[in-house]
Amino acid sequence: MNVRRRITQGAPARVAVTLLFGIAPLTGHAQSLPDWKGAWIGEGLTAEISGFPGRAAQYKLLGNDAPWNEEGRARMQATGAGQTNRKANGWGFPLMMNSAAPMQFLITPDETLIINVYRDVRHVYTDGRDHPAEGDRWPTTWGDSVGHWEGDTLVIDTVSVRNPNRYFFSSPPLSEEARYVERIRRTGPDRIESVMTIVDPVTLARPWVIELVYVRATGLDRLIHDDYDNDRSEVEGETFTIVPPKE
Amino acid sequence: MIARRFLLLLMSSWLVLPLGLDAHHSPAMFDGSKQLTLTGTVREFQWTNPHSYIQLVVKPDDGPEQEWSLEMGANVYLYNLGWRPSTVKAGDTLTVTVVPLRNGQPGGLLVEAKTADGKSLGGNP
Repeated sequence: MNVRRRITQGAPARVAVTLLFGIAPLTGHAQSLPDWKGAWIGEGLTAEISGFPGRAAQYKLLGNDAPWNEEGRARMQATGAGQTNRKANGWGFPLMMNSAAPMQFLITPDETLIINVYRDVRHVYTDGRDHPAEGDRWPTTWGDSVGHWEGDTLVIDTVSVRNPNRYFFSSPPLSEEARYVERIRRTGPDRIESVMTIVDPVTLARPWVIELVYVRATGLDRLIHDDYDNDRSEVEGETFTIVPPKE
Repeated sequence: MIARRFLLLLMSSWLVLPLGLDAHHSPAMFDGSKQLTLTGTVREFQWTNPHSYIQLVVKPDDGPEQEWSLEMGANVYLYNLGWRPSTVKAGDTLTVTVVPLRNGQPGGLLVEAKTADGKSLGGNP
């Protein structure tokens, strides 16, 4: 991609990012947008025919190693005990950024779209806008994201994310006050690296820093989306069973 | 229906299958301490979301035939492994490895599939 753009200065979200995480955005110069074309997937997380990744899969956003405070630990204990008969409708944020679902980064001058095969979609606005004022936004499963480029690194600031555990039973039970900052950069032909820093005054004792890697989803020639047209998992006691096919 | 050999292998408990996350439900419904090997005839291949399924008719040597519901990943995952809706057809003979349901019903999680000539359908990520 050979599109030229100019970084807009002074957006309050970037000021907040700088204050919170010590990131100093480059300002006032034009640059080319990087090429992240293709389908990407969390390193080691490709699903096998069972739908589950292999033995070596390591999910890094489940919260098992997060620096929880007392509230966070209580939430983890409560959600861990009640997840065996819950369903998910997709991955949601932040888990979609470390999942078995291949995804695409569609980079344009004004926004980057992050889309996966589970129809999780993030709009990351890079046109200089800030988040809506607190009274004008509300928590959603994917939150509100604004971003900017620091050289070839996409810096994303995301707020107003609904407790991720409501959408996906294994997601970390972060609060709606959590702020997520990602620094994403392509580091090789087949590798993108990201550092996600989560600050949540409600559930975390200190910032939670997670290093993520994306590799090529080599089996895909396109991303295909489908709805849940054949859900044969039905609750049976504390878990599920498979019901017979509809004839 | 052609009779098919039915082979049951109960793996020892130390071979627990670590089931991770899928984007639809917990793996707690499957008994990760066991694996079964079944040979049968495909009645239907459901190329669907949130899971695909193979309906496999199995005839044990010493009992009536049973239809097993074998759960797989979503079609959008299988596509990434090179599978297509035409990969498995009704009437195909398959030998499959399955992690069975805990409730004893004829169903389970499909972890490996081989055609009658021994070709693995595992995928090529």
